[in-house]
Amino acid sequence: METKICFRLNGKDVKITTDPLRRLIDVLREDFDLKGVKEGCSEGECGACSVLFNNKMVTSCIIPIGAADGQEIMTIEGISATEKGKIIVDAFADGGAVQCGFCIPGMVIAAYYLLSNNPDPSDDEIRLGISGNICRCTGYDLIVESIHLAAKRGGAIWKS
Amino acid sequence: MEELKCYMPKTLREALEIKAKVDVIPLAGGSDLMVSHKRTIGLTPVFEKPVMIIRNLPELRKIYVNDKGECCIGAGCTSAEIAENKLCPWHLRQAASRMGAIGLRNSATIAGNIANASPKGDTPGPLYLLDARVKISSLRGDREELVSDFIVKFRTIDLKSDELITEIIVPYSEDDFDYIFWHKVGTRKANAISKITVSQAIKFEKDGKTVKDYRVSATATGAKTNRSRDVEKLIIGKTIEPEIIEEVVNGFDQVISPRAMPEFRREATRRMIRRFLTEAAKHPKDKVIDTYEGYSMTGAPTPRS
Repeated sequence: METKICFRLNGKDVKITTDPLRRLIDVLREDFDLKGVKEGCSEGECGACSVLFNNKMVTSCIIPIGAADGQEIMTIEGISATEKGKIIVDAFADGGAVQCGFCIPGMVIAAYYLLSNNPDPSDDEIRLGISGNICRCTGYDLIVESIHLAAKRGGAIWKS
Repeated sequence: MEELKCYMPKTLREALEIKAKVDVIPLAGGSDLMVSHKRTIGLTPVFEKPVMIIRNLPELRKIYVNDKGECCIGAGCTSAEIAENKLCPWHLRQAASRMGAIGLRNSATIAGNIANASPKGDTPGPLYLLDARVKISSLRGDREELVSDFIVKFRTIDLKSDELITEIIVPYSEDDFDYIFWHKVGTRKANAISKITVSQAIKFEKDGKTVKDYRVSATATGAKTNRSRDVEKLIIGKTIEPEIIEEVVNGFDQVISPRAMPEFRREATRRMIRRFLTEAAKHPKDKVIDTYEGYSMTGAPTPRS
């Protein structure tokens, strides 16, 4: 069964005719070639497939594409093209936050979601903010430091 | 009506009309259903019945206080929305704020957590404790039922095929009690499924000694969430004495029926009840009686971080 689904993806209106029960992650990766959305656990627990859904961080592996109809989705590709996104990506690179890199798109989205709601987080608040993102290299400390760096570099930008 | 595999209503009315004609599975957050029906990477989940996506129905996303002072939570409100909203009772906010990962809390809904009828669900514990009701709607009209009756048994709820959960109504809040307690034992700080969660609340009479109201509920200690008014009656109308505490502790121990690791679950539950009642009898300044500070479920002192 195919249905027409219209939504906003990374700032552009898009439409697709597909099975509304297909997972959002599959549609983003296969139909829109957004390969920055990674699949880890497939159960909504690891955060690798995180996207923003109406500006809220969600795991795209547990959402059917039909639920995105009329809604707004931002992936790592859209976020890293924004000024705020660039600050985080640069901070992650400069801070040595990236090891194998598989969790990083999700981590960047978690950092973006955290800093957009809390521009100057404490260590504990950062750890809480990325608690839904699992890094199997276990390189959490440098990720936490890099998010501090992004908060510092962004300054007032995070409050806008 | 031609039977489809997936319905996408835009309004509650439309959703109820579909429900009246087709036996559909309502799907909101997807945190249970999309996981239990998943196949593998790239393959569409397969459901045994047609699905109705209700994630974005605006009628189901409101949180307000009704004219009786009860907190009304739309069925489609997410754990994150509940955790952040001060209109929601404290026990429920605690449970919602510790449910799964952040991204999941922005999807998972309160009605889904109830309808899943898992004994490990996070919200039923507080909802049982606070006498919460589910509002169930259909084209035939609305009805209400206690959450503790609506969840009939493991994975079974009292919902007809034309009905939809539309609201959760919570008549009590922390303001109705002198001391409150909520503790989830999980294997780690974040993303944990409950090993046991105990919710408690107590209210004293004006004399400050006689117990006017006491409640305790426990999650993951049996086939469904446990609460027993008979056990609570053992202490209501009395003053808190060590013997009474043991009566309640032993009474509640008879109520629960944990399967896996029963000795651990029983002992931890006993300790949490004993701890709460012992501390409440001392009338501390803080309303929230905490488990963690200087206290461990295993008896050894917990280092403060």
